[in-house]
Amino acid sequence: MRECLIKREERDDLDIVRLDGALDSYSFPRLETALNELRDSQRHQVVLDCGGLDYISSAALGALIGFARRSREAGGDLKLVKLSPKIFNIVELLGFHKILEIHTSVEDAVNKFNA
Amino acid sequence: MNADMASGAILASFLLLLLAFTSVGLFFAVGMIRRLRHERDQLMHQEEVIFGFIHDVADVFAYSDHIDLDRMLDRVLFYASRTTHASSAAIFLYEKEDQAFHARAISGLFPPLQGQVEASLSRAVSKSQAIHDLVRSQVIHQGEGLIGEAADFGSAILIEDAERDARVPQYELDFLHIRSILLVPMRFMQKTMGVMAVVNRIDAKPFSQTDLNLLQALADQASVSIHYAGLRDTLDEKKRIDHDLTVARQIQTALLPRSIPAFEGIELAAFNDPAQEVGGDYYDFIQIDDHHLGMAIADVSGKGIVGAIMMSISRSVLRAQAETSLSPSEVLKGVNRIMFEDISEDMFVSMLYMVLDTRTRELVVARAGHERPAWCQAQDRSFTIIDSRGLALGIADQDSFDLAINETRVHLEPGDVVIAYTDGVTEAMNAQAEEWGVERLLETVYPSAPHGANAVLNGVREKLARFVGSVEQYDDMTLLALRILS
Repeated sequence: MRECLIKREERDDLDIVRLDGALDSYSFPRLETALNELRDSQRHQVVLDCGGLDYISSAALGALIGFARRSREAGGDLKLVKLSPKIFNIVELLGFHKILEIHTSVEDAVNKFNA
Repeated sequence: MNADMASGAILASFLLLLLAFTSVGLFFAVGMIRRLRHERDQLMHQEEVIFGFIHDVADVFAYSDHIDLDRMLDRVLFYASRTTHASSAAIFLYEKEDQAFHARAISGLFPPLQGQVEASLSRAVSKSQAIHDLVRSQVIHQGEGLIGEAADFGSAILIEDAERDARVPQYELDFLHIRSILLVPMRFMQKTMGVMAVVNRIDAKPFSQTDLNLLQALADQASVSIHYAGLRDTLDEKKRIDHDLTVARQIQTALLPRSIPAFEGIELAAFNDPAQEVGGDYYDFIQIDDHHLGMAIADVSGKGIVGAIMMSISRSVLRAQAETSLSPSEVLKGVNRIMFEDISEDMFVSMLYMVLDTRTRELVVARAGHERPAWCQAQDRSFTIIDSRGLALGIADQDSFDLAINETRVHLEPGDVVIAYTDGVTEAMNAQAEEWGVERLLETVYPSAPHGANAVLNGVREKLARFVGSVEQYDDMTLLALRILS
């Protein structure tokens, strides 16, 4: 499986985290570190760009939900954008589209945060 | 004056009538409130028992890595008594040396199960110490008494009214009196290593089927720990990791049904192919009553020991909840309610739970975020994916989960086949990194469906093995098949 590259872009009050590769139990800790750093610096509004993501393990999905919940508790959110049909199917099968906010583009998610 | 008296009399009788009606109404209302309150108390009690049980099981396991066997057994007994409200309990372990069972742990005043002891007791200064010593010293051979019976047959014995059962010794001494007794085998990997027994509920009620299920679940967990208690100390760190994976694997294997229940007119089959890295799949068949069969398949998001424990918790909770309703969505709501409180927010379990009425052949399906089952109809050889709404267990609070889930009813006809599977099957990969997929799975099921549930499973295994070749798989593959006989 491909390594997962993680890029972070700051845009005013929110952060866009772009993923490229596969998110499994080996690569997830790196994303976890990145998200934890954001939280520690009180940045709770995160857009997770999954456009380059070709795999996500169920454990990683569970952890994303944990992050989203904690962000909401701090007044922010973790929104997912640009899910491939395959990954959207997994999310939908698990019913997580009812828990996580999902958008088709980064701009949609950014607008939602600013609304 | 007369008119005044008459109207006074009418008013008085009207008031009397009103009073009578109100009293009758009040009487019924009080009765109803009392009944509702009783029902509510019972439900709350049941929930409390299961909830407490989950914590207990997690507790026993949490420390079982570094405590010795005797302390672990004492702990198990403490929880066994608390869960079943038993006044005394004991664990009898099989010793290789003399090929017999000995009481290894005792809690409370556990009466000897091998009779004729009172003569020696009457001379003892401390009766409770004498009884304790006596139970400890007794050697119970294979097949002997209730302990031997439970061990030999590998099945639980529930005696509600022990006074009428010839197998139970009866004593004159009040504190040795056995009113109700429950014994469960402690088995691991086809091997009986002991028997756990509880005597007399403190509330004087007989032990129930729920007590039996909870005690058996506790015994199953304890058996794993007992098996490894001796080995653990000698392992170094590297070995410990391998060993943990093995334990997780063995817990998983131990949790799968030992046998598939037999129901007239239906055929069941299941397989679980574990992957290198423990994936956390399991399936279960639950005989709810004479004509209702519960079927579950689940995938736990965590791996290793944590995943295995999660799996065993889900299994225990599902088994306890399955008894409470024939509606699979209601059962899953109950499971989620308990698990949401109890499990880490980053973990979840996807579960498909179906209930089949074997008389009417009506199948009710509820899906907690799991793969949708496929239904192959014999009449027109068509496939239907049985869909229903739902959410994985342990991730959403009660309100969100209850709102998200519904159930689907289908009427099965003779020859119909229903298959349920985990994503390890459809996401199995070959050397070209292609996934097997649902299409290929259904194409395989189709021709083998008329030949029986086992033929369906064997067909899938063969095709799958050919597809993946020598590529190592990272996820468990689990599949179960149900076929209505013609």
